[in-house]
Amino acid sequence: MFQFRLDGSSGVPPYLQLVHQVRQSLLLGYLQEGDRLPTVKDVAAGLVINPNTVVKAYRQLEHEGLASGRPGQGTFITAASSPVPSQAQQDLRASLEEWLRAAEQAGMSDDAVTALIAAARHDMRKERV
Amino acid sequence: MAEYDAGGSVPALRTEHLGRRYGKVWGLRDCTLEVPAGAVAALVGPNGAGKTTLLEMIIGLLEPTEGQVSVFGETSRADTAATLARVGYVAQDHPLYRDFSVADMFHLGRAMNPSWDQQLATARVDALDIPLQRKVRRLSGGQQAQVSLTMALAKRAPLLVLDEPVSSLDPIARLEFMRDVMAAAADTGADSSLTFLISSHVVSELERFCDWLIVLANGHVQLAGPADDLLAAHRLLTVPRATPDAELPGTVIHRDDSDRHSTALVRTDPVQPAVRGHAGWQADPVSFEQLVMCYLQRPPTAATTGNPAPAAARPGPTGKEVTR
Amino acid sequence: MIWVTWRQHRSQAVAGLAVLAGLAVYAILLGTSMRTAFSHDDLAGCLARSQGSACPDAVGAFSNEFGSEVNQAFWAVALIVPGLIGVLAGGSLIARELEFGTWRLAWSQTVPRSRWLAVKLALVTGGLIVLGAAMTAVITWYRAPMDRLTGRLDAHIFDFEGLVLTAYILCAFGFAVLAGLLLRRSIPAMIAAFVPWLAIRLVIEFVFRPHFLAPLTTTCNATLPNQAGGCGYGLGFVPQATGHIGDLVLSANNGVVTYQPADRFWPFQFIEAGIFVALTAAALGATIWLLHRRATWAA
Repeated sequence: MFQFRLDGSSGVPPYLQLVHQVRQSLLLGYLQEGDRLPTVKDVAAGLVINPNTVVKAYRQLEHEGLASGRPGQGTFITAASSPVPSQAQQDLRASLEEWLRAAEQAGMSDDAVTALIAAARHDMRKERV
Repeated sequence: MAEYDAGGSVPALRTEHLGRRYGKVWGLRDCTLEVPAGAVAALVGPNGAGKTTLLEMIIGLLEPTEGQVSVFGETSRADTAATLARVGYVAQDHPLYRDFSVADMFHLGRAMNPSWDQQLATARVDALDIPLQRKVRRLSGGQQAQVSLTMALAKRAPLLVLDEPVSSLDPIARLEFMRDVMAAAADTGADSSLTFLISSHVVSELERFCDWLIVLANGHVQLAGPADDLLAAHRLLTVPRATPDAELPGTVIHRDDSDRHSTALVRTDPVQPAVRGHAGWQADPVSFEQLVMCYLQRPPTAATTGNPAPAAARPGPTGKEVTR
Repeated sequence: MIWVTWRQHRSQAVAGLAVLAGLAVYAILLGTSMRTAFSHDDLAGCLARSQGSACPDAVGAFSNEFGSEVNQAFWAVALIVPGLIGVLAGGSLIARELEFGTWRLAWSQTVPRSRWLAVKLALVTGGLIVLGAAMTAVITWYRAPMDRLTGRLDAHIFDFEGLVLTAYILCAFGFAVLAGLLLRRSIPAMIAAFVPWLAIRLVIEFVFRPHFLAPLTTTCNATLPNQAGGCGYGLGFVPQATGHIGDLVLSANNGVVTYQPADRFWPFQFIEAGIFVALTAAALGATIWLLHRRATWAA
């Protein structure tokens, strides 16, 4: 059975964390079409969080077309998200590798790269607010 | 499903202008709030704010001086069987009769509550490995809390009130207790959907448990509503020190001034406050804990906000009506 | 609610039974030896014929053998026992709930607190009445031979027979329950109830009881000398200065004897028991009313 986890300090709302984990797992192939997600009760008890949070996450997944609930049976993965990245992801991957090489040549350490990415993401989020 | 139904059905709990006076002093005044069915509501406030008084009036242990309480649409006087049957209660420090065995406690529950579900009670303690014949005083604190919770659940009341249920428990017992509360809240079915009202003065742990928030301070309800919506409706603004409150969008809840800048918590409708175009302004989302702390620190004279007005059709800062 | 009351007062009930059993053992041992001694010298016949004046030696022997055990020592200790039983039964009834916070448990079940209290009071009162009646019966049985010498009006005897023993217990109980509600702690409630109970007890016994009904007077009849000769009275004198066993002589000056006749035993019992039962009802009534009116307890 798929196990969720929760990062209390990340600042990301819990329901979004659950949604992200499902998306991630689909991309990585850990979740496949037809898999059943754990029940709301199991997730709520397992993570010790409000069951409505889980409901909200599952609704979001349904909204994005990644999962669907069958009454009396549970919530099932519907997206045939293949582990093979789409063209957009391949392009992004290529430009990322180029950028990383440039950063390395400029003398940035791994930590500095990670910090730069986090700072840029944070600033972009604030602008959106 | 445990998810609450914010629009339609009868709210699990509704209080209207509830107040309680002790001699000349009002411990609680003009408390109006609602908790929808199926919600897990947190009642937050400092000790002495009136939390226990409010809870006792909701449970029926205390007669209000003014106002009224309705549970699932039914209003009745305190200390009557009709009122007492509607609410399951775990008091602070989960009192039990120390020389009773667990089985004795359940016998008491059965004797004093027509709606008692003995099977639920015994199944719960079996699953928790608590022997029925053991005396209460020989149980650990966590086990006693679990027995108290079992008594409240086995009463089969639709509204459960827990007064600081975990404040005296060690971290593991705390986790196990809340795990069971979350599992009980998740139980589905037309006849077993539960509403919880949990009071606490420790804010940091509440965010993951509650979907409805009530902040009580100075004997008044300072804030009440769905946790997610309330978070979305507030922003933490960083502005130059000289900026007056009137220039800030929405209602200023709390303001801290430093030498050159101020941080203000403002409440607006979910439309973004206009920070662009103001040099040196910055808007951040507010965390659950920050939100609660700011409301707790409001001076007693500040206007109180009961339940939020419906999100649709509220005028924005420009005076035009905006919708979500 | 009946089971709940029983379960909460179970150990008190057992203690009460133990007291009764202990008393019964003592009573049986002493009672049977008294009866043996009594029939030995045909004291019964002598008392019937001559009010005891014809057999002063037999009377004296019997009194010497049993007098101190049955009359003095018993009374000195036993005076406080009904009070102790009452306050121990009542002091913690409400107070313990308030003291330990279990009132939040007890009064949030589906039973309004007035009903909770009413059932508890009814059952415990009933139990105390049964205990009091049983103790009275045991004591009356074992004292019977001595009573035929002393009568039943004397203070040391009157307190344990008839109705008053039970009434004393109930009054102490009522005071203790009320004190428990007001003071919210068991031990202070027991003390706060016991002291006034004892004071009232002693005042009624020594100030009022001798005059429940107007005393009668007679002259001391010197042709019926009593044990010590002349017109003496008190526990050691058979018969009393009035010449009848069982009269309670209040004073005998210059041959004028003021006394309460023996047949006023039951009227006095009813009067005194009535006083204490009325006090009990007032205390318990006040408790019920106060509990109903005052709607919160911060213990």
